[in-house]
Amino acid sequence: MLGTIYGAPARPVGLRTGPVVVYGNRWCGITMMVRRYLDRAGVPYQFVDLETHPEVRQQLEWVTGGYVASPTVYVGGEVLVQPSISELEWALSRSGVR
Amino acid sequence: MENDLSRSEPQLRRLHEMEQAFAALAPDIKESPEKRAISLLHGMVQELWRNLRQSQPPVPGGGPTLQDVADLHQHAPKMEGPALNAPLPVGVPAPDFALPDAQGRIHRLSDFRGKPTVLAFYPLDWSPGCSRQLDLYQQELDEFIRRGVNLVGISADSVYSHGAWATVRGITFPLLADFHPKGEVAKRYRVWREPDGFSERALYVLDGQGMIRHAHVSPQLHHVPDIYELFAVLDDVAKQKAA
Repeated sequence: MLGTIYGAPARPVGLRTGPVVVYGNRWCGITMMVRRYLDRAGVPYQFVDLETHPEVRQQLEWVTGGYVASPTVYVGGEVLVQPSISELEWALSRSGVR
Repeated sequence: MENDLSRSEPQLRRLHEMEQAFAALAPDIKESPEKRAISLLHGMVQELWRNLRQSQPPVPGGGPTLQDVADLHQHAPKMEGPALNAPLPVGVPAPDFALPDAQGRIHRLSDFRGKPTVLAFYPLDWSPGCSRQLDLYQQELDEFIRRGVNLVGISADSVYSHGAWATVRGITFPLLADFHPKGEVAKRYRVWREPDGFSERALYVLDGQGMIRHAHVSPQLHHVPDIYELFAVLDDVAKQKAA
């Protein structure tokens, strides 16, 4: 797995530190689809577990207009709430990440 | 990989930088209707941008498309609630069964001997969590195949529901109908939710001899089992076989 995992509650995280960040719940099917897609595509990303990092919720609400859902994916300037894989591919392509 | 957007166009780098600047402003603005309005506007810009790309010409004649049907689960009533059952223990033989798939073919547990098998019990076709769980398994089907694993889904739906649902979602692995007597196999595997009339969301991993090597009941109905943990379990089963 290529993604950096921010799951330990002891380590606070900011909203984003790289071009691709996945904010989601470990038990969420769409989140796992997104993460597995990124794994397979070889795209480095950070995964922030919303349950162990509830502090990011407020920041996500700020950028989504309050519509936070798992997963919310940040791709180089775009904030995608529950993206489909094709939407994700498109955003990655546009951003030059893939 | 900090800001590793060197391959992107200048305007996209600017967008990334503006996004970062926007995010950084949040703590400096007091909670107020104005802050909420700015946040909403930003969210609207993102969604408009996204919808612009997705917009398609209307379908001639109107009416719902297959994709509309596939997406019904996104607006369906939620399916939530804590688990009511504990699974069968690891290390015992898996109970036998004989269930039809969407084509009416009977699948018996004994058919799966010789290879590890994942039995994915799920509550119902068409429901929100199940659509996402089985979409995930279909996306990852190559990973199951690469590990030489049989994968089957089991629910109390009929063969006809399974057929329609699998077609709409593009599911190609077998979905077995535990329909009559309703939930009989789920009861044998101790994952039947009597008050609801459907099963828990549960996974059993069996080895090639039909012994239970892993059992998991989702603590909440809408929790999809962790796919990374499942792959780790399957790798362990393969190692045990090799040893």
